[in-house]
Amino acid sequence: MITAERKPMEEILDYISPFQRIILVGCNECVTVCAAGGRKEVGLLSSALQMAFMKDGKTLSVNEITLERQCDPEYVEELVAHISQADAVLSMACGCGVQEIAKRFPQKPVFPALNTKFMGASESQGVWSERCKGCGDCILGLTGGICPVARCSKRIMNGPCGGSTNGKCEISPDVDCAWYLIWERLKALGQEDKYEDIIEAKDWRPSWHGGPRKIIREDLVE
Amino acid sequence: MTQKNNKILVIGGGIGGIRTALDLATAGRDVVLIDKAGSIGGLTTQLDRTFPTNNCDLCTLSPHLSESGRKERIELMGLTQLADIEGEAGSFKVTLVTKPRYIDMDKCTACGDCFEQFKECVQFTPGLDYRAPTCMRYPQAIPQAYSINIEKCTDIDKLTEICQADAIIPDDIEKKQEIEVGSIILATGADLFNPDVLDNFGGGTYPNVVTGLEYERIMSASGPTFGNLVRPSDNKQPLKIAWIQCVGSRSINTDKCEVSYCSSVCCMYALKEAIVTKERFQDDIETVIFYMDMRTSGKDYELYRMRAENEYGVKLVKSRPHSIMQDPATKNLSISYPLNGNSALQTDTFDMIVLSTGFRIPDETQKLAQKLGIEVNKHHFVKTSSFNPVETSRPGIFVCGIYESPKDIPETIVQASAAACMASEHLDILEKIPKIQDELPAERDVTNEETRIGVFICDCGFNIGGVINVKDLAKYAAKLPQVAISEVAGHGCSTDSMKHIQSVIKEQKLNRIVIGGCSPRTHEAKFQNIIRNAGLNKYLLEIANIRDQDTWVHKDHPDQASAKAGDLIRMAIAGVAKRRPLPDYLLPMNKNILVVGGGVSGMNAALNLAVNGFKVYLVEQAPELGGVAGKIRKTISGEDVQSYMADLIKKTVNQDLIEVITGATIVDHKGMTGMFTTGVQIAPRMYYRQIEHGITIMATGALPIQTDEYLLGKHEAVITQLELDAVIEDEPERVNSWENIVMIQCVGSRTKENPNCSRVCCQTAIKNALRILEIKPDVRIFILNRDIRTLGFHEDYYRKAREKGVIFARYEPENQPIVKKDGGLLTVTFKDQILGREIEVSADCLALSTGMAADDEATEDLAMIFHLNRTSDGHFLEDHIKLRPVDMSVPGFLVAGTAHSPKSIRESIAQAQAAAGRALTFLAADMINTGAGVARVDSKKCAACLICVRACPYDIPYINAEGYSEIDPAQCHGCGVCAAECPAKAIQLMQYEDDMISAKLNGLFGIGVE
Amino acid sequence: MGNFEPIIVAFCCHYCAYTAADMAGSMRLSYPANVKIVRVPCTGKVDVQHILQAFQNGADGVYVAGCLEGDCHFKNGNTKAARRVIYAKKLLNEIGLEEERVEMLLMSAGMGERFAQTAFEITEKIRKLGPNPIKKAKKS
Repeated sequence: MITAERKPMEEILDYISPFQRIILVGCNECVTVCAAGGRKEVGLLSSALQMAFMKDGKTLSVNEITLERQCDPEYVEELVAHISQADAVLSMACGCGVQEIAKRFPQKPVFPALNTKFMGASESQGVWSERCKGCGDCILGLTGGICPVARCSKRIMNGPCGGSTNGKCEISPDVDCAWYLIWERLKALGQEDKYEDIIEAKDWRPSWHGGPRKIIREDLVE
Repeated sequence: MTQKNNKILVIGGGIGGIRTALDLATAGRDVVLIDKAGSIGGLTTQLDRTFPTNNCDLCTLSPHLSESGRKERIELMGLTQLADIEGEAGSFKVTLVTKPRYIDMDKCTACGDCFEQFKECVQFTPGLDYRAPTCMRYPQAIPQAYSINIEKCTDIDKLTEICQADAIIPDDIEKKQEIEVGSIILATGADLFNPDVLDNFGGGTYPNVVTGLEYERIMSASGPTFGNLVRPSDNKQPLKIAWIQCVGSRSINTDKCEVSYCSSVCCMYALKEAIVTKERFQDDIETVIFYMDMRTSGKDYELYRMRAENEYGVKLVKSRPHSIMQDPATKNLSISYPLNGNSALQTDTFDMIVLSTGFRIPDETQKLAQKLGIEVNKHHFVKTSSFNPVETSRPGIFVCGIYESPKDIPETIVQASAAACMASEHLDILEKIPKIQDELPAERDVTNEETRIGVFICDCGFNIGGVINVKDLAKYAAKLPQVAISEVAGHGCSTDSMKHIQSVIKEQKLNRIVIGGCSPRTHEAKFQNIIRNAGLNKYLLEIANIRDQDTWVHKDHPDQASAKAGDLIRMAIAGVAKRRPLPDYLLPMNKNILVVGGGVSGMNAALNLAVNGFKVYLVEQAPELGGVAGKIRKTISGEDVQSYMADLIKKTVNQDLIEVITGATIVDHKGMTGMFTTGVQIAPRMYYRQIEHGITIMATGALPIQTDEYLLGKHEAVITQLELDAVIEDEPERVNSWENIVMIQCVGSRTKENPNCSRVCCQTAIKNALRILEIKPDVRIFILNRDIRTLGFHEDYYRKAREKGVIFARYEPENQPIVKKDGGLLTVTFKDQILGREIEVSADCLALSTGMAADDEATEDLAMIFHLNRTSDGHFLEDHIKLRPVDMSVPGFLVAGTAHSPKSIRESIAQAQAAAGRALTFLAADMINTGAGVARVDSKKCAACLICVRACPYDIPYINAEGYSEIDPAQCHGCGVCAAECPAKAIQLMQYEDDMISAKLNGLFGIGVE
Repeated sequence: MGNFEPIIVAFCCHYCAYTAADMAGSMRLSYPANVKIVRVPCTGKVDVQHILQAFQNGADGVYVAGCLEGDCHFKNGNTKAARRVIYAKKLLNEIGLEEERVEMLLMSAGMGERFAQTAFEITEKIRKLGPNPIKKAKKS
C-alpha cells in the first residue's frame, strides 16, 4: 500500500488559515489502512483545526467526507455536490488523490494534509516499512524476494557493501542490511549459488528516468 | 431419602428468606415462602441505612423484594404460619394456617384510599410510627396490597365503602392447607429486645430514650417524622445524643430477661447511626457511644470504626453506664460514668439516648422449634455444628440467618445461599425452568417513531431529595428537546413507581427513558426490566447517576449538586435519544466448575457441587489438600478439626466427579461465564494443561501473619496461637510445666500496616486458655487485649474464662506490652488500666495472636490473571459488601472462605456452601445471556485493514470471505478497543456507540440542547 | 479568573474508576462537582476523537480513568488508552493547548478515596492552568 503521515499542524494551518469553510476529504484505501487519512483521522484533524481556529477567535466550518478512493475520478465526483459551499479542499489522501481532486476542481484551492511516504507493508500494529520503489523492472526473483532497490540504502545490485555489520546497515543499527537478508534467504532456499550470479547494471529506464509513466491496457481502453 | 417432592418450604420472608427463596427458584426449585407478616422484607425494611456502605436499605433491598414477588417458582404466602408437620426429609407434610387479610389480594390496587381514611388508629411500637388498621408495612411492600386489623376498625361498613376496587372482605376467614415439601428452611430471624423492662434506663417512661430501631425509624424518610431528626418529648432537634451498647445483651444478671450472648450487630449499627447523624448535622450535633468492647470484626469494619472516630468525630467511651437519670422538667437525660482508670464519676447530659438492643428469639419461634422437633441451644437459637453450620438436628430441616446465631446482613445472605444449597442437595429438579422470554410482552418496534423521551427523577428519600430540589430538576428536564414527559418518581425502584413508569410509557407512547437516580451499576438491570415489561427494548434506557455521583458527594454544596444534576440529566437525555433497540446474545453453558484452593472452603464447595451431579476441578497450589484448617486441632466448642479434615479430604479424593489437581499454579485464563478456559501448570514437571469450565470459585484462603514482634522466632517460649493449639493437643506435659502464660492479642492485626481485625484471634485465645486450664487448673493466664471480640455465643466462653480466673487486661496501641528476655525466662510488662500501674509478669509461655492476612502475592497474581478486584488489604472484593457477599464483580466468579476476609472454620464452610449454592443458580440454565454490548462492523465502511484483528485482546475479529471484518457477537467481550482504533470508523460498540457518547458530550455542554 | 470553575470530563471505566466513584459516594467522600463522568465499558473504548470533542465543546480538562496496571478487565485496554492519551496530548500541543489538560489515571474499584483525591488534584491543576483558551477566544 501507499503509506503517508499527517503533515505538521502548523503547515496545514498555514494552508487553510485564509479560509472559513473547507471540505476535508479522507480516503478509504491505503491511507485508511496506514491510519493516516481514513474516516477516523479526518474526524481528529477536523476537531483539531476547528479548535485551532477557535483559539484565534475565528471559526472554521469543516465538511468531513471520506471517499472510497480519491485516485478515481468517479469517486471524486461525489464532492461535486459540496464543493460550492467550500472555500478550499484539504485532502487526506496520498499525492495521487490530492491531484485528482485538484484536477476535477480547477477553481478551488486544494491542499495536501499528508506527506506521502512510500509503498510499504505493515510490520506489526502501527508500524509500516518501505518495501517497493516502483522501479518498473522487478528483480525480486533474483534476490530471494527481498528488494535491494527499496531496502538497500545504496540500492546496490551486488551487495553487501563494506558498511554491513552483523546484518545491519551502517546508516543505522535499526536498518537491516538488505543484502544480509538476501543471503540468509537464499541460504534457507538452498540457492546460495544464485548469490554468485552477477546482476548486471540495472536498466533504470522503466523507472521515472523516462519521465512520468503511464500504463495502457488496450483491451480495457474504451 | 425417598424423594416425593422437590418443593422447599421457606419460613420467614426477611432478607435471608428472600435470598434463599431466590437462589432456590433460580436453581430450578419450587418454593413456598411464608411469613407471619402481611408482606415480606422483615427487619431490614425498617432500617434507614445499613453499614458499612451507608446505603439506603430500601433502595438496595427493594429490587430483591420485587424480584421475589415476580419469580414464577415462588409461591408467596403472607400472614401464614406453620401449624403442623409430619413425615421426614424428602417428604414432609406440613399444615399452613393463613390469617385473614380482609382484603382480596387480586382486587386490591394498593391505592391507599382506605389507609388515608383510617390513619392514626393504632400505634406501631417497634417503629414509632402510626399504623392504620389498614396497613402496608413500608412503601415498597411485596405483595403490593394492604391488610386490615379488623378489631381496631370502628366502622367496617364505611371502610368497605371507601374501597373503589371492592377489595375489602369484612368476613374473611382463616385458611388452612396441607402441602408436601422435600425440605424446610428456617429463616425466621429474631425479635429485638424490648428494654422497657429495665427500670435503670427509665423502664420505657423516658420519652427521649429510644431503641436503635426506633432511632432508625426517626431517621428514615419513610418513618413517622419523615426523616426529621426530632426528639419525641418536644419535637426539637437534639444537640447531643448518646448510644448505650449491650442493652440486654452480654449481661451477667439474666433475671430481667437479659441474656449473656453478644448480639453481634449493635456495635456496627450504633456506629452507623452515629455516622449518619454526623453526616447530616456535622458539628451541630454531638454523638457519644458508650461501649464495653468495640466489636468491629467484619470485613473492613475496623476501617469503618476508624472513620467514625477520625473523620466524623463520633466519640467512643469505654464504659457501661449503670443508669439514666431524667430531668423531669426538660426531659434531658444524664449518665454518670467513670472514665478510663479514673474511679471518680463524671456526669454528662444528653438530649436523647439510644439503647443498642440486640436479638431475642420470640416465644412463637420457640414453639415452632418444638413443633419441628429440632434441637436448640440454651439461648433458644437453633443448634448447629461448626462443620454443618446450616443443618438442624432434624434431617431435611435447615436454618439461616439470625435464628442460627446473631449476625449481620452479609452473613445472613451467606447462610441463606448455603441453606439453599444444602436443602436442595438431595432433591432432583423435577421439571424444566420456563423460559423467561415467554412471559414478556412483545417488544414495540420504535424505529420509525418520533423520539419521545420520558424522564423520571427519583428523590430516593433524603438521598437525593434532601440535597437538591427534584421538582425543579424535573421541570428543567421537561423543557429539553424530545422530552415528552418529565416527572418526580419518589423511590423510582419501589413497586408503585415502577408500575407508574410502566403505565406512563404506555399512555404517553414513550420510546426512550431516562431515570435520574442511583448508579446504573446497581439499578440498570432493574430499570431495563421495567421498560422491557412495558414493551420497550431494554436498551432504550439511560440512568443519570445523580445520587452516588452527585447528591452523596456534593451534599455540602446543594447549589453545585443541583447544577451538576442538571448536567447529568442533560447528558442522559442527549445520550438516550441516540440509543437503539438491541438484541441480547445467548450462549450454551459449560457446566463444569473450577474451584481454586483445596482448603476447607474449596473442598466443601467442590463436594456440594459434585453431590449435585456437576464435574469439579479442584486446583490446589500446595502438594496436598488441607490448607490452614488442616493445622488446627480443635474448635472453641471442642470439635475435632483433625478428624473432620481427614474425613473431608477422603471424601473429596474419593468423589468421582471431583478431579483434584495438586501442585498446580494458575497461569492464564480467558473466556466468560459459561465458557471459561483456565491454564494451569502442574508440578513437579510443570506441564501445562487447560481446563474448560463455566463457573469459578475462589477459595484460596489466607495466611497466618508472619512477624518477629515480641521475640517470636527468637525465644523458644514465644509461640503463635496456632502453635499453642497443637502443643495443648500433642504435648500436654509441656503445658503442665507452665506457671504463667501470657497471650497478646492483635499482633499484626489492627495495626497501621494491616488495619483490619483478624476476627478469630479472640475466640482462639479463649479456646486455648480454657483448654490449658483443663490440663492445669491452677495456671495463671493473662490475655492482653485491645477489645475482646467474642461475637454471638462465644461470649459465653469469654465469661467462662473470666470465671475460671483468666486475667484480661487491656492495652492501647500506643502503649504496647514490652517483652524482654530474662535468661531462659521472659518478662512481659504491661500497664493495667484498672490499677493504673505497670505490671510485670514472668511468662513460661507467651502466645501471640497473630491472626491471618490475605496472601497478598497469591491474590495479586490471581486477581491479575482473572481480572478480579481486591480490597486494599489484598482480600478478594465481592460484588456488593452487603447484598452479594459471595458473588464477585466478574460474572461467573464466586468467593468463599478466608480469601474473602478473615473468618472461622464454621463461617468458611457456610460461605463454601453458599458459593456452591450460588453456582447452582448459574448451572440451572442451559444458555447464558452475554448481553448486547458487542462490536458491530459496517461492511460498507470497512477497509479490511486488519487493525481490529490485531487490536482485539481476544482474537475475535477476522476478515471474512467477502473481504471485510467480521466479529462474532457471541464471542465478543464488548471492550470496544476495536471500535476506538478502527481507522475507517467502521466498527461501533453497541450500547456505547460513538454518536451516543458524542451526543452525551454535547448534552453536557448544552450544545444542541438549549 | 479568581473564581474560575473548570469543567472536567472524566471518561471512567465501568469496572474500576466508575465503581470507585460510586464507592466515593457510598463513603460520602466529597470531591469537586466540576468533574462529570462519562461511563465507558473499558478505557480501551475511549476514542481520541471524544477527548478532542470534549475540549472543542468547552471542557477545561479531560481525564481517562482506567484500571490499575495489569488489572484491565479486557487484558490491556488501559495501556492502549494510556497510549491514546499521549497521542491526544501531542495533538493538543500542536494546536497550542496545554497538554496537561488531558491525563490518564489508574485506580481500582475499591479506591473510592483515590477517586475523590484525584478529582481534587486534577481540578486544582486545571484551575491553575486557567480556562480552555478556545473558550476564552469564544467569549471575547
